Amino acid sequence: MKYLLCTVLLCVLSSGTALAHKVNIFAWVAAGTVYCETYFPDGRPVKGGQIIVLDAEDNELLTGRTDDEGLFNFKINTRSDLTIIIDASMGHRNSIILKKGDLQP
Amino acid sequence: MSTRFSTLLILLLMPAAAVAHFGVTLPSTDIIMAGDNRTLNVQVKFIHPTEGHYMEMEQPRRFGVLVRGQSHDLLPTLSATKGRGAEQQQDFHFWSADYTIQRPGDHTFFVEPAPYWEAAEDLFIVHYTKVCVHALGLEQGWNEPVGLETEIIPLTRPYGLWSGNLFSGKVLLNGKPAPHASVEVEYLNERAVNGTIHPPSAPYVTQVVTADGNGIFHYALPKAGWWGFSALSEADWTLKHDGVEKAVEIGAVYWVQARDID
Repeated sequence: MKYLLCTVLLCVLSSGTALAHKVNIFAWVAAGTVYCETYFPDGRPVKGGQIIVLDAEDNELLTGRTDDEGLFNFKINTRSDLTIIIDASMGHRNSIILKKGDLQP
Repeated sequence: MSTRFSTLLILLLMPAAAVAHFGVTLPSTDIIMAGDNRTLNVQVKFIHPTEGHYMEMEQPRRFGVLVRGQSHDLLPTLSATKGRGAEQQQDFHFWSADYTIQRPGDHTFFVEPAPYWEAAEDLFIVHYTKVCVHALGLEQGWNEPVGLETEIIPLTRPYGLWSGNLFSGKVLLNGKPAPHASVEVEYLNERAVNGTIHPPSAPYVTQVVTADGNGIFHYALPKAGWWGFSALSEADWTLKHDGVEKAVEIGAVYWVQARDID
């Protein structure tokens, strides 16, 4: 009984957190700039989330913070694949990969 | 007598009027997430979904997608192709387009077909048909109206549905709720999951639910696969056939996919 209750409690707690707070990141390229858009499933922006940009060898190229609309952009000066990470703290993290080919506007 | 044969017999014996026509707008997937191929195929057909009978379909009047509050014309991307049901002796035209997701958000694809003359019912049929494809985690837009003459607005989020879920929707006619609208429901046998369905008698082919006074209806999805909802009204306009004014049946059609829990 105690075990069952614990399991139920765990499910309730974990699903609530995972679903309601899942962060997403989308990015696209226009005229040499990478535009990032971060959001929760219901459309709320991820405000002040940390952005980390890595190259294909996982070297950190730059970091920054999303604005109040969940947006962040940066100029491209590399020809490598890019991994863009959004870290909204408390383990709410997601990433997107932009392929070298996608970087040509 | 085999089940299959008796099903066929039932379908053959049914009067033509009992066979429900459905506009179909069918995407290759209803959910695209990060890492998935962002190009999907959308098929546009006019069929009897349970029996799998195709009808000849002219080029639609409108085909588009509503995404992030903006409607985009996709008519030029449609191309004609041909297909037939398992029991049919000839091919019929239907339409197909590829679409590449550009931005996150819900994508509501919609079709306004050319009026179809149905001699057996002495009327024209126009089924305004919609389906929603979710893209990249932004669950916004699925409940926005396109602004069609008649349309179903889902009240249940129309993707990520388990079989057994209750699907609720609201029928709009000229932008206002259609009280007590009759909604027909059919299973798309050509996309059946774990085997096609074999209705034991005519009433099982087309399920019927009536909306309440606010145009709201409910239906529990009993099996994995694609389910179509069609709310029918008579248009307040007519069309000429051989010089005679004829009634026009307008349908608000919506398609959803259910999956089994495993």
